[in-house]
Amino acid sequence: MSSGTGTELRATDVSLIEKVVARDEAALSALYDRYSGMVFSVVMRIVRDSQAAEEILQDVFHQLWRNASRFDAERGSLPGFLMVSARNRAISRMRRKSVGLSDELNENTVVLPYNLESSIAQKQLLGKVTSAMESLPAPQKQAVELAYFEGLTHSEIAERTGEPLGTIKTRLRTAMETLKNTLNP
Amino acid sequence: MNGHPQHEEDFDLYALGALEGEGRKSLEAHVAGCAACAGRLAEARGRVSLLALAAKPIAPPAGVKSRLMKQVREENSPSRSRAETQSEERSGGLFGRWTLAWGAAAAVLVVATGLLWYQNGVLDGKIQKALEEAKAAQAKIQNAQEMIEILQAPDSMMVSLASLDVPRASGKVCYNARLGKLACSTHLPPPPSDKAYQLWLVPITGNPVSAGLIAPNMVSTDDMWIADVKAGTTAKVFAVTLEPAGGMPQPTGPKVLVGVMPQMVTFSNPTGAIRAYYTHATAWKVTWVLSRGGPVQSGESFNDMR
Repeated sequence: MSSGTGTELRATDVSLIEKVVARDEAALSALYDRYSGMVFSVVMRIVRDSQAAEEILQDVFHQLWRNASRFDAERGSLPGFLMVSARNRAISRMRRKSVGLSDELNENTVVLPYNLESSIAQKQLLGKVTSAMESLPAPQKQAVELAYFEGLTHSEIAERTGEPLGTIKTRLRTAMETLKNTLNP
Repeated sequence: MNGHPQHEEDFDLYALGALEGEGRKSLEAHVAGCAACAGRLAEARGRVSLLALAAKPIAPPAGVKSRLMKQVREENSPSRSRAETQSEERSGGLFGRWTLAWGAAAAVLVVATGLLWYQNGVLDGKIQKALEEAKAAQAKIQNAQEMIEILQAPDSMMVSLASLDVPRASGKVCYNARLGKLACSTHLPPPPSDKAYQLWLVPITGNPVSAGLIAPNMVSTDDMWIADVKAGTTAKVFAVTLEPAGGMPQPTGPKVLVGVMPQMVTFSNPTGAIRAYYTHATAWKVTWVLSRGGPVQSGESFNDMR
């Protein structure tokens, strides 16, 4: 997660997106420097294949370049959008299935109560998320990981783990409630 | 679901992709007409997106950025000037001139242009989606054709992989040295979150060659996946090891599955018979030669197991 030039470091996501809309390659470069580490890490975790992960990373930022005018940076969070978009693409590739039209249409409507424009803020939040996940009981953590990183539904997790469906539903619901309380700023 | 979702976590479960069936459909239907719940879903998407940070940080290779910027530079070539691009994106640039010259007529034109721009955007989206679907379908067909080619080629060899110490673990590899391709399936327990299974081809001479990481959804299934290796490589052994996520250039972790490549086996017995066994993906073949006490006789028996 390297930083850009001095000017780019101070630029907000909103101003960089405006420049990307105006076809400013340096602005895209700055956004890539800012968020490519986060995007690549999650894609690698999902696909576990360097070549596929590199293709998805390039595709995510290329789509940002092509469709920046459709992204409302005032309303949604850019890193949130990038992470949702990257995860959808990675899972779609792994499971060879569409992520669903509703997800694609709304993936830019991601509200994130954190500013991740600096690498320090990213590292701080990374620590918070990691400790939140580690604090979950092992079965809950496993269920969350199977859902998030492998894109499994309730039934598929139940099938994979051999646990009753009701148990999985309760487990995930409890885990998400805990994570919500822990991760809210 | 006529009212709001009963449980706040439903938004998070939807964003996570875990919600399914009626629960998923009714939440989608409700959110489509409820601005407040659409906002709650957007917040849930944000919360869930943070789980990405639970992945081990890995820096992307520098080559990706070079390729991206090259791709962008090519698309941003001087033939498409900034003025042209802006004109295409925001047809409103014409607004000033037309209002001065034509007043109300210009307003109609702007509305029409806006509608066309909107329809164009929708069509672009539909075309893009159709192209992506066609590309995915083509990839599936190509994959199936490759699989048939590997499994049906008479010179493909089937190797059973057995576990050294993992209970109930097994696998199989169908290898064709001429094509430089293999198909593999395994039944293994899920790897730890920071690890991945990697398949290796151990050649007759030289170091093991990676045949790729086993994707999480292919770790335990009868479905086979395809990998390419250097054509003409004579394999001695296939092995699966547990390696750090992302894989290793050479095996470092424990072997969880091993299979020895069946070779042409030739031997003689006291009657003077010489038999050669040759197995491949879907059949076995026995050839024999008798030379003791008379003229040489030979033949073969072929058994198709399909």
